Amino acid sequence: MKKNSKAIQIWGFVILLVLFLLPLVARPYIINLLTEMIIFSLYAVSYNLLLGFGGLLSFGHGMFLGLGAFTAGAMLQRIPELPFFGAVFFGTLTATLVGLGVGCLLLRHKGAYYALLTLAFNALFYAIAIKWHGVTGGDDGLPVKRPNLDLGFVQLPMSDVTVFYYVTLVVIGCAVLFCWYFTKTAMGKTVLLVRENEERMQFIGYNPAVSRMILFTLTAFFAGLAGSFYALFFKFVGVDAISIDMTTRALLMTFVGGTKNFFGPVLGSGFYIYFQNFLSDLTDRWHLFMGILFVLMVLFAPQGLSGLIQSLIEVFRKTGDGKATRKKDHPFGE
Amino acid sequence: MNIIIIFILHGLVYAGLLFLVSSGLTLVFGMMNVLNFAHASFYMLAAYFSYSLLMWTGNFWLCLLVCPFLLFVIGALIERFLLRRVHVFGHLHELLLTFGIAFIILEVVKWGWGTAPLPIQLGGFLDGSVTVLGVIYPTYRFFVLFCSILIGLLMSFLLLKTRMGIMVRSAVDDSEMVNALGVNTPRVFMFVFALGAALSGFAGVIAGPLLSINIGMATSILVEAFVVIVIGGFGSLIGAVVASLMIGQIQSFGALLFPKISLALIYLLMAIVLITKPSGLFGEKK
Repeated sequence: MKKNSKAIQIWGFVILLVLFLLPLVARPYIINLLTEMIIFSLYAVSYNLLLGFGGLLSFGHGMFLGLGAFTAGAMLQRIPELPFFGAVFFGTLTATLVGLGVGCLLLRHKGAYYALLTLAFNALFYAIAIKWHGVTGGDDGLPVKRPNLDLGFVQLPMSDVTVFYYVTLVVIGCAVLFCWYFTKTAMGKTVLLVRENEERMQFIGYNPAVSRMILFTLTAFFAGLAGSFYALFFKFVGVDAISIDMTTRALLMTFVGGTKNFFGPVLGSGFYIYFQNFLSDLTDRWHLFMGILFVLMVLFAPQGLSGLIQSLIEVFRKTGDGKATRKKDHPFGE
Repeated sequence: MNIIIIFILHGLVYAGLLFLVSSGLTLVFGMMNVLNFAHASFYMLAAYFSYSLLMWTGNFWLCLLVCPFLLFVIGALIERFLLRRVHVFGHLHELLLTFGIAFIILEVVKWGWGTAPLPIQLGGFLDGSVTVLGVIYPTYRFFVLFCSILIGLLMSFLLLKTRMGIMVRSAVDDSEMVNALGVNTPRVFMFVFALGAALSGFAGVIAGPLLSINIGMATSILVEAFVVIVIGGFGSLIGAVVASLMIGQIQSFGALLFPKISLALIYLLMAIVLITKPSGLFGEKK
């Protein structure tokens, strides 16, 4: 076990190092792609906190990304001298507050009801975004300007691809790490145990409804953060940012990446963005392939890509030294 | 006065359509505990089928017969070969599977028929209009209303008076017990799932000339059907009737009175029901 966690640490360090050094050699196109992947990693990871970690299937995650994106964009438009992190702050705050409100309405529900209600709320916010032309721009969308980042001693030109990449990497990376840390905290364990045995948790004295609400609000917070960066990255927010399609995207990324492993959704979002960019050059029908892949995974590989990789590693280990036992300590338990 | 009658009729017609879609959804849910995300995709698929069939044969009545039957077969196949396989993994997987199927159907439709809305031209007496209570109203809308009432009555007859219906209702109540009593519940499940798909398909065919055929039609009716079963209560057919009527009137008068916020009104109603009666108007408390 000890050897294993050390290996994870080394791999994590290597990946971070590569991410930090890559802009020195890569083309701007690749850097942009990576930035998008990082932003969507947070989105998918926060979704997986609900799906994989809390066992709650939500169809309303897109509304938090959209709320974050629209608020950040609209605030930048309204307040002339709003700093970079001011926009991020407002975007995240709105998503969190709405998450809290919706979470309170969802208190007593789970399972299919939960999926359905979150979907309805997502549809509601989508309807609002289309109708509220004055703020969101309706069908035309909302152009967003990206302000420079003033750190006090130095001004960072955010229009530079590499600078924006580094800022995204640091902020979103920290948020992803915080999500990981959350799964290790007492609160995180509570959520996990509520998923496993709700009745027992009630007997011990926890309130499962409140744990679910806190988890929901937290994921809204992270999706809102991802949304703010989404707006600043694309410099444009269309209504599709808040649509059911956006929620669908979170589900596809997370499930294809693997819900049982914390870093599965990161893998999934990287995979998704990569395919979106490279397959869409080859064929218009790449969504269909994605859908078929999804159904095949539901049928035959519910562990997702990360699960497949894990079992591959195990196969190699077994043939390697012959005495490696089945690993049981993935972050979310069995 | 006339305008009020017209809008009440609009609401009734829409309620009929909504009932056809949501009744299958709520039956399948009550029975198999599967929230079928692909349900509205059957509706959309049938609408596109009927478009092609109408182009080919020019006979709308044929569409009304053939398309629901096609959807019945598709529904039965999906239940038998896909849904049953993931049943052992639990409800989350079933939900994800139906979602994946919905996604694939949408993409197939985009591939096969393109993304532009398709118009349907009806010939014959359905194309005209009749005068009722002093207002001139399209015949086709009356036809839709008539069809949904007829199907509703047929369904209640089937469920309440026949042996099959008794099996279905008891399986909704407690499928394990029914299975233990010697009924082949998997076959009943398949039948109900396929019947739900056929109903949804029928709704899709008659919705074609009423609304336009477009790729967004599945999502919009899916969300509304979900709202219907939340308000009416899961698994309750009478709840689906009442909630469909409510939503129909709200949609219709919302568009007349508050055009700006008409879309949000049904969610408002849903939120009120959720706060006051979380299990829905006719739902049983679990």
